[in-house]
Amino acid sequence: MQITTEEMPGGITRVALDGRMDIAGAAAIDLKMNIIAGSAKKLLIDLQKVEFLGSMGLRSIVIPARAVSSRGGKVVLFAPNEMVESVLKTAGIDTLIPVRHDLDAAIAVLG
Amino acid sequence: MPPLRYSGKLAAAPVTMPATLTPENRMTGPHPSWPEPRLTLQSQLEDLTLVWPWVEALAARYSVPAETQFAIQLCLEEALSNVIRHGYRGQANQSITVECAPSGVAELVFTVEDHAPPFDPVAAAPAATPASIQELEPGGQGIRLMRKFASRLTWQPLPHGNRLILAFALPPPAIS
Repeated sequence: MQITTEEMPGGITRVALDGRMDIAGAAAIDLKMNIIAGSAKKLLIDLQKVEFLGSMGLRSIVIPARAVSSRGGKVVLFAPNEMVESVLKTAGIDTLIPVRHDLDAAIAVLG
Repeated sequence: MPPLRYSGKLAAAPVTMPATLTPENRMTGPHPSWPEPRLTLQSQLEDLTLVWPWVEALAARYSVPAETQFAIQLCLEEALSNVIRHGYRGQANQSITVECAPSGVAELVFTVEDHAPPFDPVAAAPAATPASIQELEPGGQGIRLMRKFASRLTWQPLPHGNRLILAFALPPPAIS
């Protein structure tokens, strides 16, 4: 599991995740995700390259998202594949953290 | 080579089906060794890392489509982590077994057995859907996920534990 960050115009922090968000993948990114969430005000979590999302991986999204939100920030999930999105929907995450497949639409959520 | 996917159009085509539909008919080619049908884990979350390669090998063995493999990984991770965290409550050196067997050619069935106190995830109410991101708990959606992604979910009490049966429907065998 790999994680890369990019500062985008408008104060947006884009975190791109790459790999399987299973127990091992979640363990590999948790610390960095929490550090990013500690300062980001507008967080775009890019899920384009996430092949798998399990319950452990959900935690790696939910905990940082909650941290950003608690400081008045905003979070958007970008471009999950069909199965990953199905997990997000089944867990009810998509109703609380917006999911967008178009980058401009994702940025608009954070605006 | 990706597994062949069933298409409704193929059903009407003049194809020859194998006379006997056995799990071997699902094979996409000769394979040097098949995975063991049973996996034994210890009650530690680290052992969940053993599940992925095992399921991957089984998926190759039974030509499981990628979406079904995803569902199997998801449900097993959920079922096993629940046993480790809630069933055994963090006790180390307890065992969990997972056995995989095809049911005819239509399903792949995983049986999870533990020695934890009885818990029926089939009858249990799933966690409430949170109303806000601040109420969002990091866990608690596992039962909902298993019900959604497994084709069939059955719980049986054992004299000293639990048996959870998770079945996953497979598409019709690849047509050669």
